[in-house]
Amino acid sequence: MIYFIKILKKEFLIYSRKSSSFISPVVFFLISISLYPIGISNDPDILKNLAPGLIWITVLLSTLISFQNIFSEDYEDGSIELLLASGQNLSMIVLIKIFVNWIFSCLPIIVLSIFSIFLLYLPQEGLKPLIISLLIGTPTICLFGALAGALSLGKNSITGPALMLPLSLPVLILGTQAINYSLNGINFASNILLLTAILIFLLPIILFASVGALKLHFN
Amino acid sequence: MFQRLKNFYHKLGSYPWFYKISGKVIPFLGFFSITLIIISSIWGLFFSPTDAVQGDVYRIIYFHVPAVSVSQMIYYSMSVAAAVFLIWRMKMAGVYIKSLAPIGAAFTFIGLMSGAIWGQPTWGTWWVWDARLTSTLVLFLFYLAIIGMQSTFASRKSADTAVSIITLVGVVNLPIVKKSVDWWNTLHQPASISISGESSISNEMLVPLLFSILGVYLFVLFTGLLSMRAEISSREQNKEWFKKLLSKN
Repeated sequence: MIYFIKILKKEFLIYSRKSSSFISPVVFFLISISLYPIGISNDPDILKNLAPGLIWITVLLSTLISFQNIFSEDYEDGSIELLLASGQNLSMIVLIKIFVNWIFSCLPIIVLSIFSIFLLYLPQEGLKPLIISLLIGTPTICLFGALAGALSLGKNSITGPALMLPLSLPVLILGTQAINYSLNGINFASNILLLTAILIFLLPIILFASVGALKLHFN
Repeated sequence: MFQRLKNFYHKLGSYPWFYKISGKVIPFLGFFSITLIIISSIWGLFFSPTDAVQGDVYRIIYFHVPAVSVSQMIYYSMSVAAAVFLIWRMKMAGVYIKSLAPIGAAFTFIGLMSGAIWGQPTWGTWWVWDARLTSTLVLFLFYLAIIGMQSTFASRKSADTAVSIITLVGVVNLPIVKKSVDWWNTLHQPASISISGESSISNEMLVPLLFSILGVYLFVLFTGLLSMRAEISSREQNKEWFKKLLSKN
């Protein structure tokens, strides 16, 4: 247990020292959000209808910037090899890494998505489902990102995103739908529950698969 | 019975045995599949009756339905092979996935294309974000990811393992995609389009369709075995048994 807490502290330290890990997704998110009105239309009525989808797609794309961070640096300096050789529970270590990556790359975006009320004219009743669906949906996306990152370690190829984006489709659908439901006055609880179910169902599977994928690089 | 099945399974893992047996089966498979496809195409295109509502356009189902059905079948069989590879480390399963993935992608593409060509005169549009179409598109993307993953690993064994992991995660995720697309679709586009003509299909149309489905399944078996043999010969080209086989011919 102490071992895992130490790893957690170490990961926090690494991410907080490396400011680009949490600044670049945020910058990407803000720039894209402010480009949409310019590129599509500045008409509040049009933007209001598009806002849920635009925000979710932008969040999905901004995780593409950070998912390589989960394992790539540890792979380059060789510390993954030591973790694999340590004999500790690898799924737990991977879980800690994904968790810290989520805190630094997704949490700031979720906080900033509040600005979409002003920038994309999202009605106020859409804010609650937006925040809740992002809070529950983005961990699943980070899981897929970890798997894609573990598989495409040390390679700059399109395979990572090509693997991650089709997998994230259900989360995108359910997340946007939750916001649209609340804008139309329908109860959105079922979507949130489904998102939670997907997260809980996929968590052990993806952790297991990511560990398998990591081991591939060292045999 | 069980013992014989077990024996068969163990033999299946051996490259020389598979190479020998598949060489014997392939000519028959090729003959039957191509004959069946030709017969069902001629029957379906010229002799089966014209549809009362859709006219002659419906005849594309003799290509469309077999292609889509076989593309899903290939994916599920690949996921079984992936599980076999990850659990028992059977090398043949890796060969199977690598050889069948491009065939599956090709048939998914044929299915999507023929569906679009059918959709243009019937629905008035090439593409609809209908539940079935979207989940087939996602299936196609999974195939592409699997094919793309093959080339990113230097060692054969790592590539096989990586591809097996993706295939299994994909097969876990596909039902979720299908269900979520269903909910998304049914609530936003209430049944404006349904492909319900199939269930009430008349026998004169159904028989050539079944023939073409059988033909395409055999054709996939035929091309699958061919490409598995090619893959085996590229992996085993320096082995003793393969050199012996080459020198014999």
